[in-house]
Amino acid sequence: MFKFIRILLILSVSLFIFQSCSKGPLGGDHAANMAKLDKLYGKCKNPHRKIVGKDRRMLCEDKQRAVGPGGKEKPPLTIANLAKNFSREGGVINYQGMAINPFLWQASLELLDEYPLRIVDSQGGVISTDWITESTSPNQRCNVKITIKSQELVSNGVKVKLICQQKTDDAWYNDNSTYANEEKDLTLKVLKIANQIKAQDQLS
Amino acid sequence: MIIILFLCFFNNISSVLIKTKTTIIIKKGKIIMKKLTLALSAIAAAFSASAHADISVSGSANVAYLSTAASTDAEKLAVGSIASFALSTTTDTGLGISASLALSKDYDNDASTAVDGGNAVTFTTGGTSIVVGDVGVNDTIGSIGGVVNGPLDDTSGVSSNVATGFGAAADDDGLGVSFSTAMGAATLSIDYIANTAANNYGVLNPDSGESAMGASISVPMGAYTVTVGVADNDNGSSAAGGTIAAALGGGTLTVGYSNQTIDSGDHASLSTTGDTTSAGATYSMSLDADTTVAVGYLSNKDADSDSASKMELSIERALGGGASVYLDMVNLSGDAATDGTALGFGTAVSF
Repeated sequence: MFKFIRILLILSVSLFIFQSCSKGPLGGDHAANMAKLDKLYGKCKNPHRKIVGKDRRMLCEDKQRAVGPGGKEKPPLTIANLAKNFSREGGVINYQGMAINPFLWQASLELLDEYPLRIVDSQGGVISTDWITESTSPNQRCNVKITIKSQELVSNGVKVKLICQQKTDDAWYNDNSTYANEEKDLTLKVLKIANQIKAQDQLS
Repeated sequence: MIIILFLCFFNNISSVLIKTKTTIIIKKGKIIMKKLTLALSAIAAAFSASAHADISVSGSANVAYLSTAASTDAEKLAVGSIASFALSTTTDTGLGISASLALSKDYDNDASTAVDGGNAVTFTTGGTSIVVGDVGVNDTIGSIGGVVNGPLDDTSGVSSNVATGFGAAADDDGLGVSFSTAMGAATLSIDYIANTAANNYGVLNPDSGESAMGASISVPMGAYTVTVGVADNDNGSSAAGGTIAAALGGGTLTVGYSNQTIDSGDHASLSTTGDTTSAGATYSMSLDADTTVAVGYLSNKDADSDSASKMELSIERALGGGASVYLDMVNLSGDAATDGTALGFGTAVSF
């Protein structure tokens, strides 16, 4: 049995070597799988977490109790953020009561700077442009909607949606097209600007 | 390990190159609007340079009244707290590296102040997690029934004669490597402990020491999630078992079975080498958004023919702001040094 498990370990590590680091050997998202098992068994009793040490177990159990059955874990206090809050003068505007990441928010505003905005909701984290029409394509118009979904500067904390319409017989109709690549590119652009703002903010 | 991490970095660098290539192709393709095209033109590879390191602090405190099963001095007040420091960073290529350590005052020991953790470092990617250092194997895999946490779980006073696990408390953890990965929707974990007598520094596979291994896999199968696993210690003990969990009647029902082969020379409460079997179940459900009730039952029998049954009940309510209150109960019957019922209630606060 012992030898069998040792061989299994070697095989698993070998598979790890030959796979992309963002996926498991047969695909799949490890973090997502663990989140499902946490929900099923409870984070502290998830058989794949194996929390070693009484203190870590106690901390895990107390956190789990604190959030209740469906709640979210309270984010821990971050020393870097604490120091930044004490030292900051100027820099990024921290909107009062903002429940979204200020860097993503400011980056989104910067990206859409040239366009007329129809919705700017800093509490809900939603920005939507008015219809944008180009003189070179008078029969097409688009609007861009950006939703900030996270308090952290993370890649899945921003969602960009592009809606376009075509003019037919003086009436506008949705073109029913998807713009996945363009939306992805705009998302990357927001993230890039947000990272630049954050870097500048840390220097100031 | 170094080779693995190198390849991991290499893989990520490759994916950045592919992304850049894709971006160029996108730029060449039809883009709907000129101004948007201009906005997109500087899209970038710089996104990958989002490395950051951080230290976060969290903690918890416990206050509990316990009515234990002990025959004398049964009533106890338990107070303890812990401060934990989590250290983490993410490399430019997205590899997460983390460690943690904690300062604690145990709620079940009047004179103990301890530094815990700091014995392991975790490397994480989207698909895999590897822990190097103090890791554990589950030596009672499939043995479930425990729903009580915290002070009453540690100091209920009940004590069964049934031998379970690999014997000494340290036989199921020590210096080694733990590997966990996704295989589609399944999760596979493999743990190897090279020295059960060490935690963060020690001989690998010592001549006179013990090593251990374990493997488990969880597979969703329709409405059920099946977890099976094995564990082995080179002192001659081994374990195999599994659980099946499913949503039922607004809660989660989990049933489990475990078979542990235990060497009597390694277990103080066993005189005959042989098998311990455990069968148990837990049911947990939410009464509302803040309240959880859980019940558990576990029945054990060992090679000495000692048998015992344990029943647990826990009701927890989150109060917001990290605080919660709980009421716990443990009952043990059968062959036991101390059987009976223990009760506890208290508050746990997560900071």
